[in-house]
Amino acid sequence: MKNDKNIIEVKNLVKHFGGVYAVNDLSLKIPRGEVVSIIGPNGSGKSTLVNLLSGMVEINSGVVILNDAEKLKKIKSYEIQDLSITRTFQEVRLFEQMTVIDNLLVVLTNRSVFGSFFEVHKKYHLEEVERMLQRVGLEAKKNQLAKNLSYGQRKLLEIARALLMKTEIYLFDEPFAGLFHAMIKTVSGIIKDLRKEGKTVILIEHNMDLIRELSDYVFVMDEGSLLAEGEPDSVLKKKSVIEAYLGK
Amino acid sequence: MNIVPQLILNSIIAGSIIAFLAVSFNLIYGATRFFNMAHGTIAIFGGYIAFFFFKTLGWNMYLSAILGILAAGLLGYIFDRIIYLPLRKRKASGMIMLVASIGVFTALQSLIQIFFTSEFQTLSDISVHDRLYTIFGATITQTQIYILIMAFIVAICLIIFLKYTIFGKAVKAISDDEEVAKIVGINTNKIIGLSFFIGSGIAAIGGIAVGFDTGLNPTMGMKLLLHGISAAIIGGVGSVYGAFIGAFVLTFVANFSIFWISGEWQEAVAFVLLIIFLIFRPRGIIKR
Repeated sequence: MKNDKNIIEVKNLVKHFGGVYAVNDLSLKIPRGEVVSIIGPNGSGKSTLVNLLSGMVEINSGVVILNDAEKLKKIKSYEIQDLSITRTFQEVRLFEQMTVIDNLLVVLTNRSVFGSFFEVHKKYHLEEVERMLQRVGLEAKKNQLAKNLSYGQRKLLEIARALLMKTEIYLFDEPFAGLFHAMIKTVSGIIKDLRKEGKTVILIEHNMDLIRELSDYVFVMDEGSLLAEGEPDSVLKKKSVIEAYLGK
Repeated sequence: MNIVPQLILNSIIAGSIIAFLAVSFNLIYGATRFFNMAHGTIAIFGGYIAFFFFKTLGWNMYLSAILGILAAGLLGYIFDRIIYLPLRKRKASGMIMLVASIGVFTALQSLIQIFFTSEFQTLSDISVHDRLYTIFGATITQTQIYILIMAFIVAICLIIFLKYTIFGKAVKAISDDEEVAKIVGINTNKIIGLSFFIGSGIAAIGGIAVGFDTGLNPTMGMKLLLHGISAAIIGGVGSVYGAFIGAFVLTFVANFSIFWISGEWQEAVAFVLLIIFLIFRPRGIIKR
């Protein structure tokens, strides 16, 4: 790892659903400002880890340390923006009844509830959203309802929403799944830009070419635990990793 | 007297009162996704608070009405904080929330009975003659004209408010996916609390209107609510605009049914209409 400063450190993290351990005594360190991929076969606990980091499911035991300082035994989903974390979902989750532009404008909501009560969106909000729509290539769809978008467009809108949150940590859960080539190029460009801006990206992905192209570091999970870690080229050649993916 | 103009006017007036309940019910339902069975009784509570200040203490009528609206809004907000919010935090299902709201309805109705008795109470001042107007042979009182105007103003303001303010967009987002709304930084609990305040306050305008039009009774909250819910479903659950339309569709159909069946079946006609919508167009006139 290039960076000694860890933005996230996970220590002995456990999450079980009944008797099934989705994340089992997992410890790892994620350096600041890098693109870190988490790979592993289906059911290895990758999405559960992202759900734990974003407060979508409760931590059973263990601790998440942010910025080498803030120790968290519980993460609430409504607090993650304050922790400078945002995420996308494996199955896209949008505000389906709202237009594309409103899906993004709502992110720019005034944090004061009473402020939101009297405030309408300002011109600079609209300009910011327009710029974001151009960046992901959805400007022509801005007045369509989100539910009427294609699968790929929905993925792009979800990524645009995450970008507008301007956090330090981005958790992208399979952002390339189901995308056409041009869309893949757009999303990989976004991830590269985030790295240039010094943001940390945690990427769950199955496409090994993209992992090699984008990642600074790779963690391999299997059955809720860490199987291997290291730079992409060396990790992806490891026998244990190949066996986990392809079977012995 | 020509009966058709009178039926039209009666339908519009009854529709206006139901509209207060329907639009406010849809506002709260939109934010919380549960059927708040205490909503009608909160409307009546607002009517009784206005009655208390206006009739018991002899305060100014408009001030009393405003106090009734604020008291109902505050009560709705308090119920959310102390009952519904803790249940939401425990991820209670819509059914559990509904049962809790039935408990709130029962307790609140009993409290109103204790403080105001079960007798009919009217907000209209019999010493002051309510002016009558004739339109195409149909009569309407001044109070009813005020109710009608208020219903349109409230519905239009609410629709504009929800469409253009950041608060309105936040309510829509919560309605679509509360968990994601939290993740994108919306303070869902405060927004829902405010929705309860606004929704309960608007319902109270309906309660006060009933107090002026026909008089108040502690048990009439459920009947008002059922009409409000029917109108909301007919118009389109979750849509304020739809609920407003639904209120008038409901009262027009119920009132005009007297051409074919006895007037005492009006209530039944309203609910048959609801059943027809539930079977053939469950998402209502204005689909969300």
